[in-house]
Amino acid sequence: MITPFLELRSVSRVYGSGDTEVRALDGVSLAVMPGDFVSIVGPSGSGKSTMLGLLGCLDAPSDGTIVVDGEDVSRVADASRTRVRGRSIGFVFQQFHLIPHLDALSNVETALLYRGIRPGERRDRSLAALDRVGLAHRHDHRPVQLSGGEQQRVALARALVTEPKILLADEPTGALDSKNAANVMEILAGLRSSERAVVLVTHDVGIADSAARKISMLDGRIVSDEVLRP
Amino acid sequence: MSTSRDLTRVAFSGLAARKMRTVLLLLGPMIGVAAIVAAVGLTDSAKGDLKAKVAELGTNLIEASAASAFGQSSPTLPIDAVERAATVTTVESVSSIRQLSNVVVTPYTEALEQFDTVPIPVLAADADLPRVLEVGLVSGRWLDDFDESSRARVAVIGQALAAEFSYLPGENRTVELAGFPYAVIGVLEKVPLEPGFDNAVFVPFAAVADDFLDEDPVEPNKLYVRCQTGTEDLTSEALSVAVGLGGPTQISSEVKSEALELAAESDRQLQLIVVSMGLLAIVVGGLGIANVMSISVIQRSAEIGIRRALGHTRRIIALQFLLEAIAVGVVGGILGVLLGMLAIFVGVSAAGWVFVMAGWLAPAGVALAVVISVLAGSYPAVRAARLEPLETLRLG
Ligand SMILES: Nc1ncnc2c1ncn2[C@@H]1O[C@H](COP(=O)(O)OP(=O)(O)O)[C@@H](O)[C@H]1O
Ligand SMILES: [Mg+2]
Repeated sequence: MITPFLELRSVSRVYGSGDTEVRALDGVSLAVMPGDFVSIVGPSGSGKSTMLGLLGCLDAPSDGTIVVDGEDVSRVADASRTRVRGRSIGFVFQQFHLIPHLDALSNVETALLYRGIRPGERRDRSLAALDRVGLAHRHDHRPVQLSGGEQQRVALARALVTEPKILLADEPTGALDSKNAANVMEILAGLRSSERAVVLVTHDVGIADSAARKISMLDGRIVSDEVLRP
Repeated sequence: MSTSRDLTRVAFSGLAARKMRTVLLLLGPMIGVAAIVAAVGLTDSAKGDLKAKVAELGTNLIEASAASAFGQSSPTLPIDAVERAATVTTVESVSSIRQLSNVVVTPYTEALEQFDTVPIPVLAADADLPRVLEVGLVSGRWLDDFDESSRARVAVIGQALAAEFSYLPGENRTVELAGFPYAVIGVLEKVPLEPGFDNAVFVPFAAVADDFLDEDPVEPNKLYVRCQTGTEDLTSEALSVAVGLGGPTQISSEVKSEALELAAESDRQLQLIVVSMGLLAIVVGGLGIANVMSISVIQRSAEIGIRRALGHTRRIIALQFLLEAIAVGVVGGILGVLLGMLAIFVGVSAAGWVFVMAGWLAPAGVALAVVISVLAGSYPAVRAARLEPLETLRLG
């Protein structure tokens, strides 16, 4: 039996309390298997980002169980969640979130810091990751010197340089024009492998339908979960 | 091991990437440490110079002055004060002087207006003074017994006064003392223990009786006494008794080298002030570091969030900020020590002293800067570590 990379069991996430209580996620169960390529859609406020934050160990659930890469992270200390994050997960954000004073290579290298990796190896692996997104030749450019599409590709390189089993992307094409969006999606699709799961949140119907599996959310619940292609 | 190397690397690259801000951060610890190093180093150098001087001059010179006397405005010593002092068994040699007031000195008659603004001390002195003070003459000779017995109008002048009057060695010249012409017979070397002598005019007691005072013989008002080394305090006490005994005059005796050391104490007061100002500069610099880094934590909250998402722990984030502060402390401290050493060097060269800097001063200066920067950096570091990644990243 193949164990899921990500598993939510009756997970809730409640913000605030009393009158201002918001059930951002309301008893959601979900399993993401190795090789999955999942898109999550739903109207604004339906809980997509909340779910992604929980899947990515950036947040802890109010209720329920979360297992990431075989490890129960539901009720563990911040340090443990941080460790699982660093080991198993790569993030891509809508706003790229590159560090402005570092060049592309150093931004990618940031993901390999404090892991006992020698500087030479760190540089080689980061250059290789930049090469995979077609930006090795711009490794010495700082974020301001790169276009939005290029910045998102650097962010992709940073996410995959650690060889994470799970790649989480929140609206990765939300800040890009259609040409750059297509380019980023092409790279993301290419990263899909039997050793990895890709989960992306999107507003874009076309992008959502290009995934292998599509999950629709509404009011903190999953309303449909369909396999588009095997 | 590699983690600490990564931390150091990131701290320095962060500082290098924001040069203006880094320079501003460096200023506080740098100026503070420089002030402290300079203050301590300069006073040490001055003290070293003083010690050398005292060692050269000997510590065994005592000055006994008429301090106060009933009904006398300018008290004097008994006429036989030198003989009385010589009865103290630990005394090796004695010389006496009489300080005069209101004798106007000019290089020549017509120069009265030009030179009467700065008073020049005029003293009656006996033949033994240079021997007791252990100084020589730049040129010519000192006053002798024949000058006294012949009641000659002769004078020896200090080295600085000779320069001021453009007196050439061996030149036949007179100076005017209250209008009386005195032949210059010699120029006295500098007397380190009596800097005032450098600018003074020395004449025989007999001439003073003839020209300036209504007394004959003229009573001295101060003795210079050399005693056996080690008996300074004892001799000084014995002198007060032996010289003052039976008369109305109080005698105050002081060991000259101690007076000099006392003067150095006032330098230490100055040192304390400068060191305090340096400490203040470091503390203000520390507050500056704390302030700038706190702003930096807010400005870089997105960066902190992404680092946390990439798996950097709270501890790493805190250490990263702390290390940036420490790097500022180390670099600022080292630059401060170098700047302070430069200041000592400049001061020492100007004063003609020997460069003295305690071995502990450099490491202590750097350590102080580091301690302050650690204190300053810990609050922003903790704040940075507490940031929640989700709050700073704001997912779509
Ligand atoms: N930190 C928070 N504090 C309070 N409410 C929040 C917080 N984050 C999200 N929410 C609320 O939770 C609900 C789901 O938000 P979110 O997961 O961001 O939805 P989506 O990403 O689908 O737009 C929304 O009603 C939102 O206002
Ligand atoms: Mg969202």
